[in-house]
Amino acid sequence: MTDSRPNRLPTTAELAVATPEGVIFRLPLAGPAPRLYAMLLDTTIVLSALNGLGYLVYWIFAKVPGFGAMTITLAEFAIGFAYGALLEGFWNGQTIGKRLFHLRVIDGSGLPLRIEQAWVRNLMRVFDVLPFAYLVGGISVLSSPIMQRFGDRVAGTLVVRETPLSAPTDEAPSNQKYNSFRMYPALAMRLRRAATPELAGLLQDALRRRNELAPYARREVYRELVAYLQTEIAPFPDELVEMLSDEQYLTNAADVLLGDQRPSRIHG
Amino acid sequence: MILDLQRFQAQERPCWMKLESLLVQLESRPDHRMKPAEVELLQELYAQTAADLNRVTHGALAPELRRYLERLVARTYAELYYAPPTRSELWQPRRWLRIFASFPEAFRRQSRYFALAVVVTMLGCGLGGFAVRYDPASVDVLLPADYLRNPGLRVHEEENEQGRHLDSAQIEAAFSAQLITHNIQVSLLAAALGATFGIGTALLLFENGLVLGAVAVRYAQQGFGLFVTAWLLPHGAFEIPSILIAGQAGFYLARLMLCRREDRNMRESMREWLLLIAGLAMMLVWAGLMEAFFSQRHAPVLPYGFKVAVGAAELALLTIYLLLIGRRDPGAKMLANGPARN
Repeated sequence: MTDSRPNRLPTTAELAVATPEGVIFRLPLAGPAPRLYAMLLDTTIVLSALNGLGYLVYWIFAKVPGFGAMTITLAEFAIGFAYGALLEGFWNGQTIGKRLFHLRVIDGSGLPLRIEQAWVRNLMRVFDVLPFAYLVGGISVLSSPIMQRFGDRVAGTLVVRETPLSAPTDEAPSNQKYNSFRMYPALAMRLRRAATPELAGLLQDALRRRNELAPYARREVYRELVAYLQTEIAPFPDELVEMLSDEQYLTNAADVLLGDQRPSRIHG
Repeated sequence: MILDLQRFQAQERPCWMKLESLLVQLESRPDHRMKPAEVELLQELYAQTAADLNRVTHGALAPELRRYLERLVARTYAELYYAPPTRSELWQPRRWLRIFASFPEAFRRQSRYFALAVVVTMLGCGLGGFAVRYDPASVDVLLPADYLRNPGLRVHEEENEQGRHLDSAQIEAAFSAQLITHNIQVSLLAAALGATFGIGTALLLFENGLVLGAVAVRYAQQGFGLFVTAWLLPHGAFEIPSILIAGQAGFYLARLMLCRREDRNMRESMREWLLLIAGLAMMLVWAGLMEAFFSQRHAPVLPYGFKVAVGAAELALLTIYLLLIGRRDPGAKMLANGPARN
């Protein structure tokens, strides 16, 4: 007999916030990769703006280039810090890069970022950037359970993912008429009890994105998911599994997990 | 209890849609202060959606729906519990001018960390001076290359080069900008290194003191004490205190990091740290201008006595500013602070 405890799949980091009313909600934290991309984009924007500003300043100060150099040196320095601090402070925790990559800086309590927090986390970059290429900040993010660089630790902030979500529609998760897994109600119930919400989401994503995956990758992903479900969650009889393609297996499993969840009803 | 998802969604969707449209309205008008009726409606929809989230979390495997409801609840929570400052509040010039008075107040409130920064720097100074006094060869290790040249030669060069500076306000302007940005960056680093529990801040201050002590003793030993004082004091009167204030901010941050999380008043602490940084940045702008436009001119153009007098006057004014400006009686202070939320 297999262990009845659900095996947890490795999940992405989340922040659980408990409100004063006792409501608990979770916010998905942003990993280092999207944060790096957003930062690279912001850096490109700042450098482009400074480049344009540099031409303008040198044109205005053509006869006194020393004062032009002074202006551009000071502007470069101020914009370097102020870009992130002002945008995050006044644009609800987002810079242009963060907005495009669906990231947002928030307070550790789940509330919006305050202006002073935006300044602190951006001024602390002088430390996070050490000794080169954000090594200190990167190590701090990787070693923190809530992925904070030192600037975030000091300011009490964190970066969350905000992928666009639309309201759920009326359509049923699966429209298949017959699901052979429901012929085995005990196993179907076991699958539902043992599967975590993350696993259910993974199955749903894998099926929904079938056309985005290359055929080989799709075969591999589906094969691995089926093997995992069969060995770790709910082993359906071999004679049934052999008759199903991996995709059909996953469709059936998703239907059991996410479909009409009234236990008494059997499809088809 | 296992949830009949389809029926549940059909029943509750109108509430979610209503909440979402209300949130879109509120988020698009950050300056808008909600009316009591709006707050009541928002509170009601929030309670309903939170209850729905609870049912979905415990009664159904519907990750997408759960994520959607969590996002709705998070957004409503932010609207109910956070009131951002309005644009008119933010752009009041008086709010920003208050920094000039708030900075010395913050400086005095955290004066023990300033004292610690002074002690660490003085230790470095003492060691640097002692090493050069008793082992002149140690300058090779202690000083950067620029300071290794013979002091007599350096003084001769500085005094003879000044004629060129008279026509080079532009070069001085560019130089001042470099000095300002470099000094602010180093000071910011000293303040930020407080995140290493103050170890980095202490090392940086100690190294600065070491170099300062070694240079001062080396020039004084060879009879150029007045020259080096006149050279360093006009800008040093602001530059050295600002580095010490950076150390103060660093040690303050270190103390904060060592506090238990629940004992921290993050909002006040961050404000204090930022005030110190803003103040030292203003000081370093002045120091950079003085270093580029004033300190580099030597006798006979500017007599050393005059330069030392200017430096001493700056130091006296700075001391008065830091110790006296912004002082208020406690009752007035409580009133001035107003409510905690902004």
